Amino acid sequence: MATTDTAVSLSNVRKTYRVGEPVHALDGVSLEIPRGSYTAIMGPSGSGKSTLMNLVGCLDTPSEGDVFIDDRNVGSLSGRERTRLRGTQVGFVFQTFNLMPRLTALENVALPQLFQGADRVERRERARALLERVGLADREDHRPNELSGGQRQRVALARALVNDPAIVLADEPSGNLDTETEAEVLDLFGEFHEAGTTMVVVTHERHVAERAERIVHLLDGKIERIEELDGVTDELDSGANR
Amino acid sequence: MRPGASLRLAWRSIRGHKLRSALTTLGVVIGIAAVIAFVTLGASLQAGIIGDISPDDQRNVYGWAADPDTEGGPLAGAQPIFSQDDLESVEELEEVEAAYGYAPIQSQSVSDGDEQIAQGDGLIASGPSYIREERLADGRQFEMGEREAVINPAAAEQFEENVTVGDELTITVIGGEQTTVEVVGITDSSEGLSPFEGFESSPRIYVPTDPYYVEQAGGFGIGDGGGEDGAETNGGDGADARFIAIIVEAESTSEADIDAARESTVAYLESDAADASEFLGDDLEVTFQTSTELLQQLQDILDLLQNFIVGIAAISLLVGSIGIANIMLVSVTERTREIGIMKAVGAQNRDVLGLFLTEAVILGIIGAILGTALGLVAGYLGAWYIDLPLVYPYEYVALAIAVGILVGILSGLYPAWRAARTDPIDALRYE
Repeated sequence: MATTDTAVSLSNVRKTYRVGEPVHALDGVSLEIPRGSYTAIMGPSGSGKSTLMNLVGCLDTPSEGDVFIDDRNVGSLSGRERTRLRGTQVGFVFQTFNLMPRLTALENVALPQLFQGADRVERRERARALLERVGLADREDHRPNELSGGQRQRVALARALVNDPAIVLADEPSGNLDTETEAEVLDLFGEFHEAGTTMVVVTHERHVAERAERIVHLLDGKIERIEELDGVTDELDSGANR
Repeated sequence: MRPGASLRLAWRSIRGHKLRSALTTLGVVIGIAAVIAFVTLGASLQAGIIGDISPDDQRNVYGWAADPDTEGGPLAGAQPIFSQDDLESVEELEEVEAAYGYAPIQSQSVSDGDEQIAQGDGLIASGPSYIREERLADGRQFEMGEREAVINPAAAEQFEENVTVGDELTITVIGGEQTTVEVVGITDSSEGLSPFEGFESSPRIYVPTDPYYVEQAGGFGIGDGGGEDGAETNGGDGADARFIAIIVEAESTSEADIDAARESTVAYLESDAADASEFLGDDLEVTFQTSTELLQQLQDILDLLQNFIVGIAAISLLVGSIGIANIMLVSVTERTREIGIMKAVGAQNRDVLGLFLTEAVILGIIGAILGTALGLVAGYLGAWYIDLPLVYPYEYVALAIAVGILVGILSGLYPAWRAARTDPIDALRYE
């Protein structure tokens, strides 16, 4: 399939968990995330944010509907293919950083390449370049516990970008950071977005979400509204998505 | 993932938990060390008992009569049934080169002049060619009917002044009777000359069956003092002395000649012409074996013993592998989050499986190497302590490493499989 302008596309996606009563974590969501865009996803607890993130991050498959990442239908892929797609096309940034504790900053950044079979020299070169871009060239041999929170999150961002993914998916990236460090990290997000990376940030903090081009508001498993931050608010009737 | 990268990551995580890894490995170390140590000791024991002496008595067939149900080595359950007449008749058989009796004589002491040495066994009566010419370091074989003896170096060195050819020794047998012998030869080694004696080094004095055994058997026969009611086998002059064993020399060392000699001897002994035949029956059968065959029996017994010990050691290896499995399971749980991270950034199930399996195999190999080293040292010390010739069974070292790898794989398989199928979503939430 020819590359389109859409990095991620969800059409009428449902995710149902069966714990006794069936629970619709996502209840008919359609969403397109264009390449090079910067999207924030907001919503209260239980609104389906995490489920949406797992689906977009290729960690999970929908119960109904289709999720396309880089024009490939996630639901139709085998487990192996899905893992490969995730490894190459999705970069994760987590609230708790999730770096490997025994690996150095450089090794952490290089880790995703390891599973794609890249050789050692290639891995180190690429990782070093990215560490430089996030301003941690002098910290490459430090372990995560020797780095500050902000530095760790920058290492995580470098790791997310190392395989040149279609989308960077950040889950509360500044949740564990103080205000000043938060600004630094979010500035970096902005920089990478400017450079063409597709960013999706899941957050419940308004000021974090406002860094994006648009905010998708979730409520009870449905898209409540999509807010374009150039001033126009696109109100959606949830019934229209059924 | 490339194997090199997988190896490095696994090694990193082993180094990250030094104490835990060391304790885990300990189980395998002890198991492998026990196997290696016991196998080394077993091999050394075997070398010590059997020796590396190649039997140079290849054409000899050793015979004795025992209950066919008796298990054990040469002379086990043997009864004295071979008469002097039997020996002479066997010797006249076409297929037989020579035949002579064999009998240990119970003694009390041996004296060289005024010097008296207590010696309870090692006085052996047999035919002249029992001591083969090539085994003589000095002198000659004794002659039948003469009061002569050939002694081995250990017997000669017992006395302050080494006994030499031409010296006269006084032997006191059980019951206090004394008899003299002239030393006419000294052998080249103190090891036993046949499987009947065993192969260990000890002082031995070889004398002709006539007069020594014949006199002794006659001297103690109840028929001698008992008069009319004495058993006919115990004539007063000892002519009816019965031998506990018989040694038959075949024409050559070829298997055909040995079998021919063996068959015709057995056939004669079982015929009515033989004195021995009256005792033979369901409860008593003659057995004729070459020393090679006899050594095989001994070897079988040692093998059995060794297998038993290795079996016990294998149990400790099993315990060790359960230890690895246990630690790996704990390790998988403890690193759930790391597994989640790796899977989120693109690790396939087989990558995770490979990582944990590699870790278990590394622990197994380290355990095997350390265990082998420890086992070899323990085997060395053991052999040194019991004073055995040290024999290292090198094939077992290779086997130990293979077992280490196997233990690693087997005990790592389930934990690694558990790790591989961890759901990244759950794993990333795991605290």
